[in-house]
Amino acid sequence: MKLDVLTAAAIGLALCAGTALAQMEHHHDGMHHHEAAGTAKCANASLACATQAIPTFAPDGTLWLAWTANGTVSVAHSRDLGRTWSPPVAVNPKPLDLDLGPDSRPSIAVDRDNRVFVAFARFRNSKFDGEVLFSRSLDGGNSFAAAIPITDDTESQRFQALALDADGSLFAAWLDKRDRVPAMARGEKYVGAGLGFAWSNDHGATFSAAKIAEDNTCECCRLGVGLAGPGRPVVAFRNVFGGTVRDHAVVTFLNPHTPGPIHRVSVDDWQTDVCPHQGPTLAVSPDGTYHIVWFTEGRVRQGLFYASSADGGRTFTQPMQIGDPERNPARPYLLSANRRLWLVWKEFDGKSTTVSLMTSGDDGRTWSAPRVVAHTDDASDHPLLVGNGGRVFLSWQTRAEGYRLIAVENTQ
Amino acid sequence: MKRWLALALFSLVLAPTISSSAPMDDLHDFVRGSWQGLRQAHAGAPLIVHFWGVTCGPCRAEMPQWGQFLKQHPGLPLVTIDADLVPNNADTVKSMLQQSGLTKAENWMFDDDFVERLRYEIDPHWQGDIPRTLLIARDGSMTTIDGVADFARVALWWRNQSAAAK
Repeated sequence: MKLDVLTAAAIGLALCAGTALAQMEHHHDGMHHHEAAGTAKCANASLACATQAIPTFAPDGTLWLAWTANGTVSVAHSRDLGRTWSPPVAVNPKPLDLDLGPDSRPSIAVDRDNRVFVAFARFRNSKFDGEVLFSRSLDGGNSFAAAIPITDDTESQRFQALALDADGSLFAAWLDKRDRVPAMARGEKYVGAGLGFAWSNDHGATFSAAKIAEDNTCECCRLGVGLAGPGRPVVAFRNVFGGTVRDHAVVTFLNPHTPGPIHRVSVDDWQTDVCPHQGPTLAVSPDGTYHIVWFTEGRVRQGLFYASSADGGRTFTQPMQIGDPERNPARPYLLSANRRLWLVWKEFDGKSTTVSLMTSGDDGRTWSAPRVVAHTDDASDHPLLVGNGGRVFLSWQTRAEGYRLIAVENTQ
Repeated sequence: MKRWLALALFSLVLAPTISSSAPMDDLHDFVRGSWQGLRQAHAGAPLIVHFWGVTCGPCRAEMPQWGQFLKQHPGLPLVTIDADLVPNNADTVKSMLQQSGLTKAENWMFDDDFVERLRYEIDPHWQGDIPRTLLIARDGSMTTIDGVADFARVALWWRNQSAAAK
């Protein structure tokens, strides 16, 4: 059975229609009591109710989508670029208290044999300690194994990211607070969270014992993960320098189990104890250049910035400002595809959220003028980019329009 | 708008009569337009607005200090708004407000996932970082405290505001 995307949208609309009306009235007279707002929510696990959707193309060209809706992570695939979808399969049939922080989202990867890997985080207790869960499907997404913890440690883990290496090994990185236990036992304060990682060399059946690549990184921001070469992941992250400065750093693995030294991307000097909930985006171009876009409100600069490194992260170019600073540019996403760099981000003018795109054909030295490729007037997920070897698409889940896959390769 | 104002005024009148040990039942939903209504309801009077969230570590440490500050300054016009970046559950928010001694404050909670819009209505440049406090003077002028508040500074501001009224 194939579920047409329009049908899915119609079902979602039917389910939400009464509440949408209630909400419109609600805006007109400015009422604000629990009943009105409480019912203005889409209440099932369908894509129409999703607050986040994460795409990936399998090597065979099939589009896979993982999404989060009302405590359930679901997966479906499409062979016609999102026009029709396979019946959704719940990765966790029983809803969980999922980590719905703005930068937290499930990670999905699909290998050459159509094994589907999904990792996501839930809150395990009332103190909001997280737990990263992992599941896989060995039958082309028809069923998923019961989700199990990615590590047996029980300290907080959040913000997981998966990456498939060329040989089929699966790399997982996440933020992990295990090292606060020995620190506290020594009477020391532990700032932030560690950057944890593990590998699976048996297609997700098991993971190696988790290790911490770096301690005291910022605890609430997503990671940017790429590969510098076989067995050599690169991770971009918001670090905590000197206990108080939350600027960005990269680490490149020397081999699968040995993280190299960390290098600072930029001295923005954002001294803060608050959680920015805005992590970086990273792309590695075919010649090995690292590209990163990040958000800062540092003393030196404020807004969204791009820089690149041609020497494995040791040095970065001077940060270049991205977007219109008067429109709150945020939530950047970078992709290296078709020998170009593609960058999208959100801007907001008080009513409408736009997604802007710019591209570079010379490894980030010069960029096209930004161009708006999509907009919405209600809540929206982060904009993401996905490529299938020939085409490049914006993937964007918005409350008003639902899921959209928008071809952008002709817009540069 | 009339209904909105009536509700806002009702909550203002009601709030001081609730004892701090009583169960909290007034947690207003902060949606599109709420900020404008809130400002109108308090127009012409000084106001402190504190933004926090239950998943925010520094906020959880700071909230009992606001409870203490409110106790030391009876009549302090204090509004709290839960603007957590991770969506919160109303019961958890109420429970933390109670534990922090803040049931007498005017308490709100973000209840709209179009959070960019809610934040923009408050401050077009606010990207959502909490804790954050706004000191709004009688004439509407606003001072923003990013991060955990310095209570000596807040106390000085409130003394100046109270003195100006006399």
